[in-house]
Amino acid sequence: MREQVVCKTTDIQPGQMMESVFGKQDVLVCRTPDGDFYAFRNQCTHQGAPLHKGMMCGATTEQSEPGEYQYCHRGEIIRCPWHGREFDIKNDGRMLANPDKKLPSFKVRVENENVIVYK
Amino acid sequence: MPKQRIPLVDTDIHERVQYEELLQYLDEPFKHYITNCHWIQEKHMPYTQPSVAGVDRADAVVPDGRPAGSDLAFMQEQLLDDIGHEFGILTGALDPSPSSMHGWYEMAAALASAYNDWQIDKWLDQDERLYGSVHVAAQDRDEAVKEIERVGDHPKMVQVLLPIDDIMWGDPYYHPIFEAAEKHDLMIGMHHNEPPVYYGKWPRYFIEWHTLIPTAHMKQVTNMIFNGVFDKFPNLGLMMIEGGFTFIPHLMWKMDQQFRDLRHEVPWLKRKPSDIMKDQVRFCTQPSEELNKKDFMSLIDQMGTDEMICFATDYPHWDYDSPHRALPNLDPELKQKIYSENARNFYPKIPKSGGEIT
Ligand code: FES
Repeated sequence: MREQVVCKTTDIQPGQMMESVFGKQDVLVCRTPDGDFYAFRNQCTHQGAPLHKGMMCGATTEQSEPGEYQYCHRGEIIRCPWHGREFDIKNDGRMLANPDKKLPSFKVRVENENVIVYK
Repeated sequence: MPKQRIPLVDTDIHERVQYEELLQYLDEPFKHYITNCHWIQEKHMPYTQPSVAGVDRADAVVPDGRPAGSDLAFMQEQLLDDIGHEFGILTGALDPSPSSMHGWYEMAAALASAYNDWQIDKWLDQDERLYGSVHVAAQDRDEAVKEIERVGDHPKMVQVLLPIDDIMWGDPYYHPIFEAAEKHDLMIGMHHNEPPVYYGKWPRYFIEWHTLIPTAHMKQVTNMIFNGVFDKFPNLGLMMIEGGFTFIPHLMWKMDQQFRDLRHEVPWLKRKPSDIMKDQVRFCTQPSEELNKKDFMSLIDQMGTDEMICFATDYPHWDYDSPHRALPNLDPELKQKIYSENARNFYPKIPKSGGEIT
């Protein structure tokens, strides 16, 4: 399958995500607070949890010094529903604790009201 | 994607009670303390599990909104049927955890009895795959023995549950509990509750506490062994639940070396500590540490046996281990042992014959 409509733009509000399918694959479609759409494989790279059951949130950052919390990337982080690993939506789905690992992603474009995933 | 089914004996599943469900199994005045005086068990942990849904998997909340682990039908759908469990052992949600109450032992003992009756009624009698743990108020030793005598013969009660908290259970004062357990073919299951693993207090961060949980498990195993529990009760076994297993070789080597030097102090030990462990102590695999196959096999090699560890999911908690993904891909014979046979051989009341894992 080359491309497929996975949802309508109105199906997801900014800051939310939903599950869909692309061919035989489970896909997680995310919409960041700035309105952009992203799509990843809907399975955590750790033990395979369904990511749409997790949450989109922000993250404490590595700029924090011991004893202080800096929090940003609001709405741009996917957190796994099981062990809580964090994946940065705007950084290619890279895991915060180990940026060498990332969620497999799909290309996305929006045409009219349609969110289209393609390879 | 259709998943391969795994005929598993899952050694740690947390069913959860809500206090109002216990009321019908409680007598007065204890009922009154809950309904009118709003009693709930003391809590100590200064942090939450900083995950998506606290202590639970975020997807394990019951669809009607009740907390994870509180509904049998949903547990069947999400866990037992989905994975292909042959058997699962219920270990409670540690709330209430009668043996962890630091006072008011009468309430603790009443809660333990009510909990056991609820567990039998609502879980063990409702699904033939589920086996249970006898809850007791072990700080009141004699009440604990009475409770074991009361429900210990239930064919699906497989162990007595003791928390890893601030009591070292190997002390001879508690041996009547082990005597009663052995009499009813019950093993001892130990699960940490809120152990003060940090010099009797809490470390500053949850991640420190959670990292060090195995040290609390090591203390209890060491204590049970050097206090002579296993020679005194040769048919008793100890299952260490949710401390992982990668510390086992260290503990065996350390205890054996100490035993060679200091045996004089504990003359009641008839076997070297590592042999006692191999014979009578088992460890749940969860939470596993993402070993590759080579490292995993080297660890088994260092243990000197592949019969000491038993797979556990810890459903529905946030640090759940997936039977499909938590351990490396092992050879079928070893897989069969870790996922099923080791637990069957450990618990006398669990049926012996098993399915094949392919
Ligand atoms: S399965 Fe996602 S963090 Fe473990």
